[in-house]
Amino acid sequence: MIAASFPAAPLRKMADQPGALVALCLALCVIAVGGAIFDDRLLQGVPVWVKPLKFSVSFVVYFATLGWVVNRLSAPVRNGWAVWVALVLAVLASVFEQGYIFAMAGRAEASHFNDSGVFFVAMYALMGLGAALLMVSVAVIGWAAYRDRQAAMGPGLRIGVGLGFALSTGLTLVIGFTLGGNGGHFVGVPAPGAATLPLFGWSATVGDLRPAHFFGLHAMQAGPLLGWVLDRRGVARPRFWVVLGLAGYSLFSLFLFVQALAGLPLTDLAVLGL
Amino acid sequence: MTWDDLFGLANMAALVGWVVLIAAPRGHWWLDALPRLVLPVGLAILYSGLMLAYVFASGGGFGSIAAVRQLFTSDPVLVAGWVHYLAFDLLVGSFVAARLDGAGVARLIQAPILFAIFMLGPLGLLLGLLTETGARLRPLEKGLI
Repeated sequence: MIAASFPAAPLRKMADQPGALVALCLALCVIAVGGAIFDDRLLQGVPVWVKPLKFSVSFVVYFATLGWVVNRLSAPVRNGWAVWVALVLAVLASVFEQGYIFAMAGRAEASHFNDSGVFFVAMYALMGLGAALLMVSVAVIGWAAYRDRQAAMGPGLRIGVGLGFALSTGLTLVIGFTLGGNGGHFVGVPAPGAATLPLFGWSATVGDLRPAHFFGLHAMQAGPLLGWVLDRRGVARPRFWVVLGLAGYSLFSLFLFVQALAGLPLTDLAVLGL
Repeated sequence: MTWDDLFGLANMAALVGWVVLIAAPRGHWWLDALPRLVLPVGLAILYSGLMLAYVFASGGGFGSIAAVRQLFTSDPVLVAGWVHYLAFDLLVGSFVAARLDGAGVARLIQAPILFAIFMLGPLGLLLGLLTETGARLRPLEKGLI
């Protein structure tokens, strides 16, 4: 017998939610795989459920990273307004992005770069706004973590989070919006059935802006991971090595960006004069 | 009243339940009771009446696609079948909402899950149960990763 009333629920703050969000995005991965089993439709030569799967996997990593950091903050910062606003925006944007990407995959139509009507153009613009909000949330949490002197973080992790999150936001806004305004992810026109990188699907024959976007975005994992490892190993001057490592990482992302803009695939090192 | 009118009325009733479940505050028994008890019971009564009155006349059955298609050639049985979805989806939504409440999942995150149950019942159930599992395991807080 179901009681008429909802039982009183334990109150949990927004900062406690990333675990549920990771699981929700993981569930979406399962559903995308389920779709792929029954659905053999292609969009631009790629099975329609590959894109939702890639995005949900990346949201799993996104929320796991935010949760990993938020969980180390002191109670006042964890439960403060900055973290609350950042997480609420991240939830709204991620639900919108994934909802639209799944719906459009079901229709076997493009979600990004769709200029086939006013509605699709407006939705694409909103997806750009959503992506920007997701990155602003990262920057806000990185800033809050960097300033939180009571956070359970060593010196390497602290600078790794602060700088890694800021660089991730900066690189993604620049590379992501260039990608978004490019009309498609390629610079050049790949021949039908041309070689791509396994798993990622990046072009091996023409310029592709997605690798640079991928590396730029994942500075938010690279920075904290480097700092955390250096702290654990007790390496001297961890802050210096994190700054140096992230500088190199950013240069590498920008190199990939320039390479793609020049119309060259990842595998072509002509930019370096090789 | 035509069968279409009855179909529309049942949809409207279910929609009220979903709006309450997704957007209304919880903890008021008279409000909670709408999606959890009152509307599913109302829809169940409607279903029972329609089925008992029309299912045998339809000449259909449950054993094959052809038999079920024959069932649904009867408008009142089609309405009954739709009411079956409406009643059970709302109950499943209430069940998932209560479980997510128990696991401390924020209403902001419950909303898209409940909407998914409203639109695509079992798909939303899958999202809800997996999200609950994630919220209960709390791997981040336990320092597992």
